[in-house]
Amino acid sequence: MIRVEKLTKKFNDISILRDITTEIKKGEVISIIGPSGTGKSTFLRCLNLLETPTSGTIFIDEVDILKKKTDVPKMRQKMGMVFQSFNLFAHLTVLENLTIGPVKLLGKSKDAAEKKAVELLKLVGLAEKADSFADELSGGQKQRVAIARCLSMEPEIILFDEPTSALDPTMVSEVLAVIRRLAKEGMTMAIVTHEMEFARNVSNRVLYMDEGIIYEDGAPQIIFDHPQKEKTKAFINRVRSFVYPIDSPNYDLYAMNAEIEAFCEKHILPKKMRNNTLLVLEELLALYIPKLKQVAITVTLAYSEKKETLELMIEASGDKMNLLDDPAMADDMGMTIVRNLTENLEYQWKDGKNTLTMALRK
Amino acid sequence: MNISKTQTGDSITLVISGRLDSITCVQLSNEIDSINKTGNFNFVFDFETLDYISSAGLRVILTTQKHANANNTKLEIRNITNSVREVFDMTGLLPILTIV
Repeated sequence: MIRVEKLTKKFNDISILRDITTEIKKGEVISIIGPSGTGKSTFLRCLNLLETPTSGTIFIDEVDILKKKTDVPKMRQKMGMVFQSFNLFAHLTVLENLTIGPVKLLGKSKDAAEKKAVELLKLVGLAEKADSFADELSGGQKQRVAIARCLSMEPEIILFDEPTSALDPTMVSEVLAVIRRLAKEGMTMAIVTHEMEFARNVSNRVLYMDEGIIYEDGAPQIIFDHPQKEKTKAFINRVRSFVYPIDSPNYDLYAMNAEIEAFCEKHILPKKMRNNTLLVLEELLALYIPKLKQVAITVTLAYSEKKETLELMIEASGDKMNLLDDPAMADDMGMTIVRNLTENLEYQWKDGKNTLTMALRK
Repeated sequence: MNISKTQTGDSITLVISGRLDSITCVQLSNEIDSINKTGNFNFVFDFETLDYISSAGLRVILTTQKHANANNTKLEIRNITNSVREVFDMTGLLPILTIV
């Protein structure tokens, strides 16, 4: 239905979208997720030409909408768009908001447009608000009217640009329920959203966007439960990281501890986990540093807000040195402490770098 | 870390507060060495206000215990906190030391 090839969008010299190639098939419900500022909304806006792509092609039903000869308003009618900020006409009633487009652009009679509008208002549960003005509605009601208005133009696909971001949390569910209903009825939809559970339940495909590209594309079960790529994993598990480089055997233990404590405090980690992290780290550094010819260590802490787990990684450049296999470590008190306070200890030596990873026990 | 010392007869009590780690263990080790140089004493380590101990601190305690065994004196550890007890426990030191 929609095919996008090598789509790019630049604002001045800044690349917002880079070589995006994807396809949206009829009946698909696609959620587009990812951190803020990674081009998700720009991608949607390019699809219906609210933004003009810098290069690339967009085919809708095999028609290249970027060609000069293409009848853009006609192609645009195939696509409805629902915005974060509703964009209702404030001087018109709810019913008039729904009939103005079909009458003026689709050439429908006023009666036919009104009949359809009432049906659509019933669909979104707002038939009784037909004569109200936008300002008399709550945020959730406004967004449901915006969806009904979009449907009144009989689009083949609806693009939702963060439809619940501007809503009070109590009103999110009423809007999501309407979108769910449309999905059940087979409407083709592309939804930019930060509602992860909703994206997981409603979509049959999820695009994870990061740094202007579609970084990972897959079924919701894959993207949410078994993401394949690092950035997707970090985003899905809401991982917050802390990195501390050590380049001297006389490193400042207390300066490092202070930064780790601040990191743990910021993410409200339990005091015990914080103390255990400091202890494990002190022990590991005491074991590693005397063995290194030149100290070049990077300590990384990664806290997953979703799983409430804290992972510790120590990378040390130099010769292969596996503390886990070292017989001298068998009775070492420091190593005993590390083994007691952590789990999933793993060692890897690659490209002249020793990497030790582990998770702090809860 | 802060160490305060009191002597009653042939017994010396060290109240150790704060952190006993790879940096501060040197201070405790030096304190004990200087006491041992003046004679044979029984030691009491009071850990009521000790918040943190690493293996570096444990090694100083083990060395003190070994010295006591060799000289027929005693080392007693008092008022141990839960977090410090856990470290003693996981390293198998609880049965070796006299903790009251």
